[in-house]
Amino acid sequence: MRRSMRSEPTLRHRLVAVGCLALASASCGNNPYPDSEGSKKVLYTSFVDAPRSLDPAVAYTTSAHAITGNVYDTLLEYHYLKRPFELIPGLAKSIPEPEAIAGGRVRYRFDLRPDLVFAEDESFGLGGEGRRTRAIESQDFAFQLMRIADPAVNSPVYEPFSSIEGFGGFRERLGALRAEEEGFAGLPIREQYQRAGGVAGIRTPDVSRLEVILAEPYPQLLYWFAMPFTTPVPFEAVEYWNGEGDRERFADHPVGSGPYVVASYDKEAKIVLEANPNWYGVQHPEWKAPGATYPSEGEAGDAEAGRLDPQTVGQPLPFLERVEFIRERESIPRFNKFLQGYYDASGIAKESFDSVVLEDRISPEMAARGIELAKTVRPAVYYIGFNMDDPVVGASATASGRGLRQAMSLAIDSREYARLFQNGRGVPAEGPLPPGLFGYDADYQNPYRHVDLERARLLLVEAGYRGGVDPATGEPLRLTFDTSDTSPQGRLRFQWFVNQWRKLGIDVEIDATNYNQFQEKVRNGAYQIFMWGWVADYPDPENFLFLLTTPMARSVSGGPNTANFQNAEFDALFEAMETADNGPERAATIAAMRELLERERPWIELFHPEDYTLFHDWLKNVKPAGISNPTMKYRDIDAGRRGEQREAWNEPVLWPAGVLAVLFVAALVPGVRTYFRERQ
Amino acid sequence: MPDWWFSNAVVVGLLASCGALAVYVRRNRLWSEAAAGLWRRRPLAILVVVFYASVALADSIFWIGGVDAGDDVVKQHEALSLVDRAFLGTSEASYSAPFADVEFYGGAPLQQQGLHPFGTDILGRDVLYLVLKGARVALLIGGVTSAIAIPLALLFGVAAGYFGGRIDDGVFFLISTLSAIPGLLLLIALIMVLGQSTLSVCLALAVTSWVGFCRVARGETLKLRELEFVQAARALGVSEPQIILRHILPNLAHLIVITYVLLFSGLVLSEAVLSWLGIGIQGSWGQMIVQASDEISREPVVWWNIGAAGAALFGLILAVNFVGDAVRDVLDPRTLREEA
Amino acid sequence: MLAYVLRRLAYGVVVVFGVLGLLFVLFFAVTDPDDIARQSLGERVPPDVIEAWKADHGYDRPLWPWQDWDDNQLFAHYSAMLRFDFGRRDSDDTKISDRLLDGMGPSLSLTVPLFVLGLVIGIPLALVVAFFRETYIDRLGVLLCVLAMSVSILLYIVGAQYLIAKLLRWFPISGFDPDPSVIVRFLALPILVGVVAGFGGEVRFYRTIFVEEGSRDYVRTARAKGAGEPRIMRAHVLRNAWIPILTQVVLSIPFLFTGSLLLESFFGIPGLGSLTVDAIRGNDFSTLRTMVYIGALLFVLGQILTDLCYALVDPRVRLE
Repeated sequence: MRRSMRSEPTLRHRLVAVGCLALASASCGNNPYPDSEGSKKVLYTSFVDAPRSLDPAVAYTTSAHAITGNVYDTLLEYHYLKRPFELIPGLAKSIPEPEAIAGGRVRYRFDLRPDLVFAEDESFGLGGEGRRTRAIESQDFAFQLMRIADPAVNSPVYEPFSSIEGFGGFRERLGALRAEEEGFAGLPIREQYQRAGGVAGIRTPDVSRLEVILAEPYPQLLYWFAMPFTTPVPFEAVEYWNGEGDRERFADHPVGSGPYVVASYDKEAKIVLEANPNWYGVQHPEWKAPGATYPSEGEAGDAEAGRLDPQTVGQPLPFLERVEFIRERESIPRFNKFLQGYYDASGIAKESFDSVVLEDRISPEMAARGIELAKTVRPAVYYIGFNMDDPVVGASATASGRGLRQAMSLAIDSREYARLFQNGRGVPAEGPLPPGLFGYDADYQNPYRHVDLERARLLLVEAGYRGGVDPATGEPLRLTFDTSDTSPQGRLRFQWFVNQWRKLGIDVEIDATNYNQFQEKVRNGAYQIFMWGWVADYPDPENFLFLLTTPMARSVSGGPNTANFQNAEFDALFEAMETADNGPERAATIAAMRELLERERPWIELFHPEDYTLFHDWLKNVKPAGISNPTMKYRDIDAGRRGEQREAWNEPVLWPAGVLAVLFVAALVPGVRTYFRERQ
Repeated sequence: MPDWWFSNAVVVGLLASCGALAVYVRRNRLWSEAAAGLWRRRPLAILVVVFYASVALADSIFWIGGVDAGDDVVKQHEALSLVDRAFLGTSEASYSAPFADVEFYGGAPLQQQGLHPFGTDILGRDVLYLVLKGARVALLIGGVTSAIAIPLALLFGVAAGYFGGRIDDGVFFLISTLSAIPGLLLLIALIMVLGQSTLSVCLALAVTSWVGFCRVARGETLKLRELEFVQAARALGVSEPQIILRHILPNLAHLIVITYVLLFSGLVLSEAVLSWLGIGIQGSWGQMIVQASDEISREPVVWWNIGAAGAALFGLILAVNFVGDAVRDVLDPRTLREEA
Repeated sequence: MLAYVLRRLAYGVVVVFGVLGLLFVLFFAVTDPDDIARQSLGERVPPDVIEAWKADHGYDRPLWPWQDWDDNQLFAHYSAMLRFDFGRRDSDDTKISDRLLDGMGPSLSLTVPLFVLGLVIGIPLALVVAFFRETYIDRLGVLLCVLAMSVSILLYIVGAQYLIAKLLRWFPISGFDPDPSVIVRFLALPILVGVVAGFGGEVRFYRTIFVEEGSRDYVRTARAKGAGEPRIMRAHVLRNAWIPILTQVVLSIPFLFTGSLLLESFFGIPGLGSLTVDAIRGNDFSTLRTMVYIGALLFVLGQILTDLCYALVDPRVRLE
């Protein structure tokens, strides 16, 4: 009968099978990078969320600064190694001193280095056919500062710069001209700024000098000049990269003056930086400029960590030829790829912590692979806040509200929280100021930040809530903990807090809504307890204490004082320390403010986050950056060692495939036999 | 009326209607044969489902007080279910492995040594307790949602099939529009509008899953409408609602039962995905899986919470799927015909 | 025939209109344009900046036509979608059409092999199982299918990542690189997970069709006449079963373009699925609207194609 079905060429089948196996093993192996890249000085790192914008006037998130910090250079920078943070000159020749001038104003004069040049970009063709770059002038700094004032740019840092004389006036005039004059809005941006009269307090006496005049003293202004907000921006780039037609927007196409340029930018997948040949450090290594030379001093511990290697000290920067940021949404894959050698540095996923850190040091297994650990305390604070406008927990409840807040503060053990949810990372916070800032006292112990349930219960009795019971209802006092974190994992954290307060008999309910609804609640003042964090913009205590001042209150001005803490005494103390110099007087004022906060408890300070960074031994000169941004130029890679280690760690384990194949065939045999039997 | 009174009332109502159903089935020969056939085919699966249902019922009977709660003072004023009470005072500080004597990280001795068959989670709660509580949520999702979706589908489907014309066009338009929107997106939008309570999630799930059965109901009604006895009833002047109630619906009964069971498992699995997106229901196994899925990368691995929740989920779905297949076999007219 | 096609097309248009309207209502019932602005600009932003942003993006106009017949968001929404002017993403002002084009490639590179493999594995397996109806192979096969269907896809993904990527190190845990020499590595695991997670339901579905066909009267007659089972399978069952299978297949094709939300998200594949998940998490209306619109269009297209195929294949339908 028909033999066709059985004797269908078995030879063909065999060939196909072999072919499949070959294909499988060729594509087998877990290296995500092309093999040719193996020997280059390329740093591989990851990012979670694409930055929304790389426009230096707008970019304000860590992920954005990871790129803008390396692509846009600034007049001043932070010293890479020294702590507490110190400013060094970058594009400026030196750090200006404030000069008091007529009318209570203050002037800062910056002298630019000579011969500074922008990175190459086609937008410079606007100034002449074939032109790819030009010299950096003081007007480029002024242009960027005016962009911050420009209402159409929507810069989030308008506030700190508004102390510049004429800043607000310029903004209004610009807005008015655009609204009223025909065709004004269609003019090139630079012309618009000129027509609006510029900013009185920003002067450019000549191409290499910039003067900034403040209407009143603001010593922290200099710190803003170490952030990408004040980088020189070429007007050609802003006008050319306008997003029309095929062109990208300026927010996606940086044109800067820093050690790197953005070579390719795929927000969903990968961002690539390449060394900038026009950077002054590359063009003029003989200057030994502080921002372009590897530092020769640091703090205690840098030498032991290998960061002051004589081979590296004094060398011109940058060392890396390329940096690749790869999008990694989930922390587990990111960490595992790090272990496989495909990322050069990594945070530590909390789930993997115990395999990595043992008694606060790198574990032996990790150390055997040459992995090292760097720890820093971030200049930030995480806290639970009370809405002081709330009738039950807030200021209007006077003594009973205060007692309630104090009691709840006594129930929370920051250390236990850190142990459970952060592998013990994080310095328990006694007050709002983090370590490394003036006014931080390592010996200070906040009596309300150490668990004492007995005392808490007594306080509750005094506050009128015996046993946590609300006298009005006869039932446990019901409060709400509002959050925008609806993830199941977030839920566990909040549940822990709730469990602590339950020990006092207080019934706190978690109200988790999505981000929009949460913001709605905050705007309407419909929240009682919330959890928040604040990361320093710059290393001055004013940047933390201002969060608790009346003008910043959410209900007053929509500001960041979400706790709505409004206390006249605190405000007065703040004004006294705001512009004071660091000294014993300032310290005393800060201590008085701290005491006030102790009593009033608008916040339950939780911890100052600690970053543990892991890195492989082939990545050199790693120091966790904190608030400093241009860090890539200091790092270096030993590509040879990396290649070796990767190979050693990533042999595919192939035997299970063989076993599976055998099992599969074995399962088929009876079926095949039955088939042939059926056919007879 | 506080929530928990409502829950108790529902339990009583459910038990009563189960009783009534049992009596009805006994009396009706067709149905009691079907039930016998069902039992013959999948006794184990049925027992498993009954077990889960019992746990869920036990978790739905609440009352306040009668508790010496130790550390947690608030519990004395809260409504606690039977399951809650069985596990009072079983908390530890944090993780512990199944049947362990010490905490998993840190090695501090436990308060109830060796008494946690599935270990404890990060907050110290007994995992067996959490898994048992998840049964109620799962049955709610599957049961309540189907109980909303099926009548909804019947309403539109039978109306469309029976009355035809404009009504049919209207219903068909509605179905097409709803089908065209990707289910997950519609779900998320609905949950955002309706809120995240259990009832809202059930409602949202129901709205996104009634369309399939609606089509089936419509098709069957179309066929039934042409049958002789229906034509006869109409000729006799019997009112339309009467015809639908007494002739059409009973003949859809087998489809209803089959769909109910099959929809059930699909819904419970969908809820796991919702939990991953952050809009699931509190205390569901899906939520436990998501919370725990980070943990299996810990070293040493914390496997017991995701294992227990995953196994519980798998167990219920598998049992329901088996029962569903058996139900379909028993009630499918073709099979009935063949066995005759 | 032509009339039939035109009628189906017209109906499809009406459905798409309905979808767009429903989407508009649902979204604005839930979100306030102020919030969209804040999500894009960040929290610390003064109110006049928010107003400017809203004006820029057209969110400051009245929502409903009866509030202002000349300038309202509903009409603008419809006119933009009908012109395929998707505009820019709310979150960062990139062109949505660019993102769509960029994302389609990775999505298709995942869904098409997944789909094809599903068919290539599923149909023969179902045939085999149906062929061995009532024997141990059938029972085992069905049992395996039910077991496979009962596991949540989350568990499959987590398990696969742990077992295969971490322990066995066969493939990268996640990531994507369109470079042809490495692309297979990145797609292998998600495709594997997708196939395994889906094959249970698929094989059962096809098996049901085959068994139904196989129990039809004319097939019974053929068997009674003594024809061999393999021949029956080929000549009778397969020939007639392919209509419902084809329906299923054609219906699924449009969704190949929209990508798999779960797989893309967990495995880091930058396709349309992960674009949608990001839009959901970030409350990005303009992107969500576009994805739903495209999904609806493709769905309607799929329905029309299916009906067309039916009409071509089954002469009875044409006469309707």
